[in-house]
Amino acid sequence: MKKLLIPALLAALLVGCSTTPLPEDSNGAPVESRSGSSSTGVAPVTAGGLDASGLPRELTDPKSKLSQRSIYFDLDSYEVKGDYKDLVASHAKYLVANKGFKVLLQGNTDERGSREYNLALGQKRAEAVKRSLTLLGVTEAQIESVSLGEEKPKDAGHDEAAWSQNRRADILYKAADGRGEF
Amino acid sequence: MKMNAMSLFFRFIFLPFFLLTAGFAQAQLSIEITGAGANRIPVTIVDFPGDPAASRVITSTVRADLERSGLFKLVDHNGLALDENAPINHADWKGRGADALAAGSIARSADGRMEARFRLYDTQKGVSLGGAAYVTNATQLRAAGHRIADFIYEKLTGEKGVFSTRIAYVVKARGQFLLQIADSDGQNAATALTSTEPIISPVWSPDGGRLAYVSFEKKKPVIYVHSLASGQRHIVANFKGSNSAPGWSPDGRKLAVVLSKDGFSQLYSVNADGSGLQRITQSSGIDTEPRYSADGGTIYFTSDRGGSPQVYQIGANGGDARRVTYEGSYNVSPRPSPDGKSLAFISRREGRFQLAVMDLASRQVQVVSDSNKDESPSFAPNSRMILIATEVGGRGVLSAVSSDGRIKQRLTVAAGDVREPAWGPYFQ
Amino acid sequence: MRPVRIALLIAALGSVQAHAGVFDDDEARRQIIDLRVKSEARFDQQAKGQLDLANQIQRQADEISRLRGQIETLNYELETAKKRQQDFYLDLDTRLRKFETAESTNAAVNPENGANSKPASDPAKEGQEYEAALNQFKAGKYKEAAAGFGAFVQKYPASSLAPNAQYWLGNAWYAQRDCKRAIEAQSVVTTKYADSAKAPDAWLAIATCQQELGNPTGTKRSLETVIAKYPTAPAAETARERLKKK
Repeated sequence: MKKLLIPALLAALLVGCSTTPLPEDSNGAPVESRSGSSSTGVAPVTAGGLDASGLPRELTDPKSKLSQRSIYFDLDSYEVKGDYKDLVASHAKYLVANKGFKVLLQGNTDERGSREYNLALGQKRAEAVKRSLTLLGVTEAQIESVSLGEEKPKDAGHDEAAWSQNRRADILYKAADGRGEF
Repeated sequence: MKMNAMSLFFRFIFLPFFLLTAGFAQAQLSIEITGAGANRIPVTIVDFPGDPAASRVITSTVRADLERSGLFKLVDHNGLALDENAPINHADWKGRGADALAAGSIARSADGRMEARFRLYDTQKGVSLGGAAYVTNATQLRAAGHRIADFIYEKLTGEKGVFSTRIAYVVKARGQFLLQIADSDGQNAATALTSTEPIISPVWSPDGGRLAYVSFEKKKPVIYVHSLASGQRHIVANFKGSNSAPGWSPDGRKLAVVLSKDGFSQLYSVNADGSGLQRITQSSGIDTEPRYSADGGTIYFTSDRGGSPQVYQIGANGGDARRVTYEGSYNVSPRPSPDGKSLAFISRREGRFQLAVMDLASRQVQVVSDSNKDESPSFAPNSRMILIATEVGGRGVLSAVSSDGRIKQRLTVAAGDVREPAWGPYFQ
Repeated sequence: MRPVRIALLIAALGSVQAHAGVFDDDEARRQIIDLRVKSEARFDQQAKGQLDLANQIQRQADEISRLRGQIETLNYELETAKKRQQDFYLDLDTRLRKFETAESTNAAVNPENGANSKPASDPAKEGQEYEAALNQFKAGKYKEAAAGFGAFVQKYPASSLAPNAQYWLGNAWYAQRDCKRAIEAQSVVTTKYADSAKAPDAWLAIATCQQELGNPTGTKRSLETVIAKYPTAPAAETARERLKKK
């Protein structure tokens, strides 16, 4: 139960982090240039700079298993490999114990082939992780699985070494108070 | 000999975001012709008397359009200027090898606008094929040139021309994604949207006024509809999970979309304002890339329900899906032609992703490109050309290929990768 | 002094008691931890089992997809092969018809047949109507084809194309799985047009239908008729082979 206190404390300490909300897209709102001018630009949340996200240390401490957030897939495969079962089980356990936390599962693919079909394949990977988590007791409401397809490669190279890095699903956390990685 | 003229006032569309994009001037498309038709029609466009600067813009636009189409061969006009009422020595032009000739004039009207008049002649038969007059403001002379080129193209080939149409595409440059609109010749590029996150799958509404596309600015794919004239946009689908692959119904009222809210990617239809969501497919695999057939009755899409991605066809409201492609283990991105006769798609053959065209009546498939990484085909509204994204020298470029594979043009942007092309409808 | 001692004693007792309490707590905690480790181990075990099962189900779903794909491909190939076979046959029939109709036209000029050969009203129109019905058949519209051929033989019973039309009428019924009417139609070929080139094929068609209707005696009789009546026709060869198979 003490687990719940830490995020709250951390959250209270870490103020002023970078997630500025997007301008609301309502009907009739004029489009602003999103060319990165600081006043109107999209607030970029990148996977690297998230230490100030207000998440408990056990999720971010490199020594903790829960800091491992990526699941890699074989070519043309959409099943969570044996090597990642422990990892998925650890996250499931954490989410079952901390119902206030939510995760965003982002599926990715390598660059070959149709962008839209790859988007669907990335979804299949995110979905495989989601199914594993729900099987282990995590509630549907805690999980959203989405796909980035081939659009956000971790490795921008054009060889198998790069592609294997991009056949991946990432787990992003968000605490009950809304702070986190997405 | 009264000219059968029609007067046309262009309603020009102002894109407010124009002003914000001065810095992307280098994102202009340049076009290179890499293949032409076998039998090109020899045609001469003489200079138009009147305002010389305006004449130069208009006639050079007409000549470039006709040449680029791959269906015409320009016969030198020897610097000659002739207005639309000048007598034509047909035998002489015939002797110089021109089967057709266009002459015209440019006049400035009282309110400062320009009027371009022209007439087209068949030198073989020695007759006029008709003419037209276009009134435009001085900054839009190229548009008048495209209209004249369309007229000539239609008279001489029997098909409607597409020089006055526009194309949309995405440029990736310096870590930014620009959704751009340009004339079909790559000129007049304007940026409709700039984002630090990817933009994919733009598609034109049938009236040419709006674009639907997928933007990742919310950290996940979300579908927007964007009115080009006003710059206003709204979300059409932002359900839990991914929202992608929009395709307009021919009446412009609905969009076929792909949502993962119920698990794997499946097809749904939704009204253009985001209301009235209906599920179309019920499969245990992936269904994506929906495109309505020209008559709106069916939807072509990509599915892996048979173990590999293939093109299927289903009723617009669902039902049983029928498989359409059989050759090879990767056939994706189906695009039915506007005339309903053929289907363009991307086929993987020996590791190469190539543009293929199927004749829907005979089911015969022909590979029409010789590149390796073709993506996102898009038909011109006259069904003759297909715009694709491909790669040359590691850079993303656009390529236009005729549906028989004979004529090829390449469109590049100096400063970045071009991708995700979408050819707009006829000028309205 | 005494009160002090008592106090000390109490304190000592208390401390002993307290100590005992601490000892019990540790023990309980250890047991709880133990239990937790055990249950977590069990959870992990179950978790892995669950995940294995999920992967297995996914793999089976993938396998079903692959099989579905194979069925789709096989169906397509079968359909294509069928269509090609039909095209070949119709093509062959069209070519043979030239010879067959030429033959029967010659026959019609023979003096003994000359009397009942009615001059056809319009051979071009006749040909068109025949072609139209045949095209229906090619397109798989058997009902329309049957109607077309039926009308043709009524309208032009003496036409050189009449035996062929009658024969295709039978085939159109057969294609609609109506063996009774198919036999009726083919019987007209074998009687009325017994001398036409289609007659032996009509006998074969009758045999096929009889077999499908569960009439082995009839089948045998029909096949033997082909051999007896048309010993040199290709159909006779087929009939011999079919008789041998039984």
